[in-house]
Amino acid sequence: MVIGAVALAAALGVSGWLFTTRVEFLVSLIRAGAPLDRSGGRERRVRNEATIVLGQRKLLQRLVPGLIHAFIFWGFLVLGPTIVIAMIGAVSKHATFPWLGDQGWYALLDDIFAVLVLVGVVSALYIRKVVRPKRFDGSHLGEADLILAMIATIVISLLLWHASRIALGLNEWPRHWAPVSNLLSHLFADNQTTRVLERVFVWIHVLTILAFLAYLPRSKHLHIASAAFNVWYGRTGPGGKLETLRFDDPSVPEDEIRFGAGTAADLTWKEVLDTYSCTECGRCQDVCPAFATGKTLSPKLVIMGLRDQVFADGASVIRLRGSEASGGVEPELAPLAGNAVPEESIWDCVTCGACVQACPVSIEHIDHIVDLRRHLVMVESSFPAEAEPMLRDIERASNPWGKSQSDRAEWAHGLGVRVLEPGDPAPEYLYWVGCATSFDERARATAENTAKLLRKAGVDFAILGPREACTGDPARRIGNEYVFQAFAEQNVATLNEAGVTKIIANCPHCFNTLGNEYPDFGGEYEVIHHSEVLARLVAEGRLKPQRDEGLRVTYHDSCYLARHNDVLAPPRELVAAVGQPVEMQRSGKQTFCCGAGGAHMWMEERASQINDNRVREAAATGASTLAVACPFCTVMLDDGVQGAGAELRVADVATLLVQAGAAD
Amino acid sequence: MTTLVFVESAEDELSQQAVVMAGSLGAPVSAVSIDTGSLGFAPAAWAQTLVDTAREQGATAIIAPGSDRGNEVLAHVAAKLDQPMAANCTAIAAGDPVSVTRVRWGGSLLEEAQLHGSPALLTTAAHAVAAEPIASVQTVAISDGVSDADRAVHVSETVPAGGGGVSLADADVVVSGGRGVGSAEGFSVIEELAALLGAAVGCSRAVTSAGWRPHSDQVGQTGTKISPEIYIACGISGATQHMAGCKGAKHLLAINPDGEASIFSSADYGVIGDLHEVVPAISAEIRKVRG
Repeated sequence: MVIGAVALAAALGVSGWLFTTRVEFLVSLIRAGAPLDRSGGRERRVRNEATIVLGQRKLLQRLVPGLIHAFIFWGFLVLGPTIVIAMIGAVSKHATFPWLGDQGWYALLDDIFAVLVLVGVVSALYIRKVVRPKRFDGSHLGEADLILAMIATIVISLLLWHASRIALGLNEWPRHWAPVSNLLSHLFADNQTTRVLERVFVWIHVLTILAFLAYLPRSKHLHIASAAFNVWYGRTGPGGKLETLRFDDPSVPEDEIRFGAGTAADLTWKEVLDTYSCTECGRCQDVCPAFATGKTLSPKLVIMGLRDQVFADGASVIRLRGSEASGGVEPELAPLAGNAVPEESIWDCVTCGACVQACPVSIEHIDHIVDLRRHLVMVESSFPAEAEPMLRDIERASNPWGKSQSDRAEWAHGLGVRVLEPGDPAPEYLYWVGCATSFDERARATAENTAKLLRKAGVDFAILGPREACTGDPARRIGNEYVFQAFAEQNVATLNEAGVTKIIANCPHCFNTLGNEYPDFGGEYEVIHHSEVLARLVAEGRLKPQRDEGLRVTYHDSCYLARHNDVLAPPRELVAAVGQPVEMQRSGKQTFCCGAGGAHMWMEERASQINDNRVREAAATGASTLAVACPFCTVMLDDGVQGAGAELRVADVATLLVQAGAAD
Repeated sequence: MTTLVFVESAEDELSQQAVVMAGSLGAPVSAVSIDTGSLGFAPAAWAQTLVDTAREQGATAIIAPGSDRGNEVLAHVAAKLDQPMAANCTAIAAGDPVSVTRVRWGGSLLEEAQLHGSPALLTTAAHAVAAEPIASVQTVAISDGVSDADRAVHVSETVPAGGGGVSLADADVVVSGGRGVGSAEGFSVIEELAALLGAAVGCSRAVTSAGWRPHSDQVGQTGTKISPEIYIACGISGATQHMAGCKGAKHLLAINPDGEASIFSSADYGVIGDLHEVVPAISAEIRKVRG
């Protein structure tokens, strides 16, 4: 017993030392991360812990792999106390943990969950070795095998330990409470061999757990420790809102102002925690439209690349940010772009958010990619050349195509739309048209038809005309935070001066920026999408479209409307009011991008085209009309339809309503 | 105490502006141009010559026009002296350190900065001040301090741009094809007309997406922006992305079978018809007229 106690103490000491030194390093690295405010939203955070961590909600989006993980995870929770029981048992075969180690019901739980974990491990190995889904491409497969083998060893040794104890009559609980162990006990006789084996099993169990503990924080399995924190500190607000860089905040010391992320030292603490949490499961990669169309980008490889760099440069980062720093030579840190993440990947992202939504541990890939872009644009001035005219035109002409601002309200000629002049009384709703809907010849119909419908229903609204400027969304998403903030401040000043409180927006990108991002700049408005207003007007009977039973319409969800802002039902209600809705496979929050987000409207696309992919899916529904609620989707999908020669008509929901006679 | 100004020539407007701005440092201005002899433009050799001249004259500042050559030569001066340099200044004020206002971010920001180092090294932004004739320019020969390494990079030959064909950005006439051309081979009619007119061939984004033409031929927001005298757009519907690249065209002729195509709203002349009939007919007519 003394030898056992000494051996256990030694093993605990070694394992605990290996564990804590590594954890100290990991925690220091998070502390060295750039500041980010993730306070508040406690209620939502508690709910996220309950659903995403305990309830495994995101993992269960994929039922089979989700269940496999849930078995192992829940087993881990239930079997946790068994670690202490086994350690006591390893020291003395006649002692156990009071109130628990001698309970029949707990022996039953042990049996059930040990078997479930084993089923989970075997199924996981089957998926990895036989099914081999593409989402694991690029993941560390050998490491996963080792971890699965360790978990299997832990539960098998537990079952065998219990079985051998039953055979020896050492069980503290009635044997029928543990049916599996009881069954296995028939493998053993009550003899000396079994007495030795009982010791062997318990020590295998305990030592494997301690080895696991030491290995854990050095492996991708670190998520066991970090995921619950990462979920807790995840976004509680709308997913479409980017973090604002504080250039002029007097409370931020000048040398701490961030211009995105150039090296590992520039990452925020949440971004560092994100990299710890990645389990390389590849769910992000599986849903990424850029990856699906043969681009370089894989959101998984972005996070893995950043993690490798964070660990490689970690000691330098801690020294750089530590209080004892300065005075010495600043350590050389490798640039992230081009090393941790290929530059092409950084520009491939359409910021659709499918990866963020799919991630079971709340990694926020868009933040990483936008921070990398910010550094390249604002510090290196290195970005795809074809996007340069867009930025210049926004700055010079207040719209990304360099059109004349005086033509912004040209679409409204003859429609009797009030243009708000300075000093005019504020309307109930300001109709924010947006650049694409104002200027693009294919998207303009949306503006005309929205205005016609609002007038028909007697809504009090007005537009800003030439005083409306780009919200700055494309500039912000390509990484030019300067230009974005300049326009945010200008637009907020215009809107506040005009006394605007409620805004109707056509463009989901404007909708997201106005509603979610302008509050950081003093613009607090109730922002609604035109599909929401129109759906309400139809429901109230103020608009009466004629339904055509033979018109088959499939609705394409815009990422910034559905996924980032949860507007799902209103456009569908409009589609149902004019025809026969038919859903695509990837719909609602699972929508597939049109390819224009993240400033890609103004970039060239390599490899195969995202919009072609989406149009093929729409055509496969047999619908004759592809309904949209976003001017970018309108243009991209119409291009896709022409490119594919598909028999599809792309139309905004407002246009469909007018064609159904709602404005007559 | 002098301010040495590198001038490309006495007539060069940007150099004249640099001399005017140099005056605001208060010290006497010494304008210097370089007689490069048979060497040609050689930035490192010119820089060494300026360094040596500045030392002889006891210059406390070296200024160059913010031209391609001015910025390049002064960057070499800064490297040789291991001193900081401020590029593209719109205003400078004497003092220690010198105060400068300089252009950042491609003209979108003006930065107020202090320039340390001795001598002060800066280049002046174009058209920040009005040009005035330069009173006297001293021409200096490549100095003896110039090493072989400094001479290694120099302009050895000057050849006119473009090795045949007409560059899209500079062409007076551009003939473009869109999705309506139908295939890579279909561009033969476009190329034929372009050859007759001495025009450059362009295309829309749909064409490069389909792989019919290289991206370098693309006219549009994300391609080349053109401003020819005549732009002939064949089978192009007139998407915003395309029109943003050709709005500088003086005259626009559109050929498209769809009379509703939005390109007709921007066109000066329009033909509603199939480009595969219309374009060869135009080519044939040109040949007939020319005999």
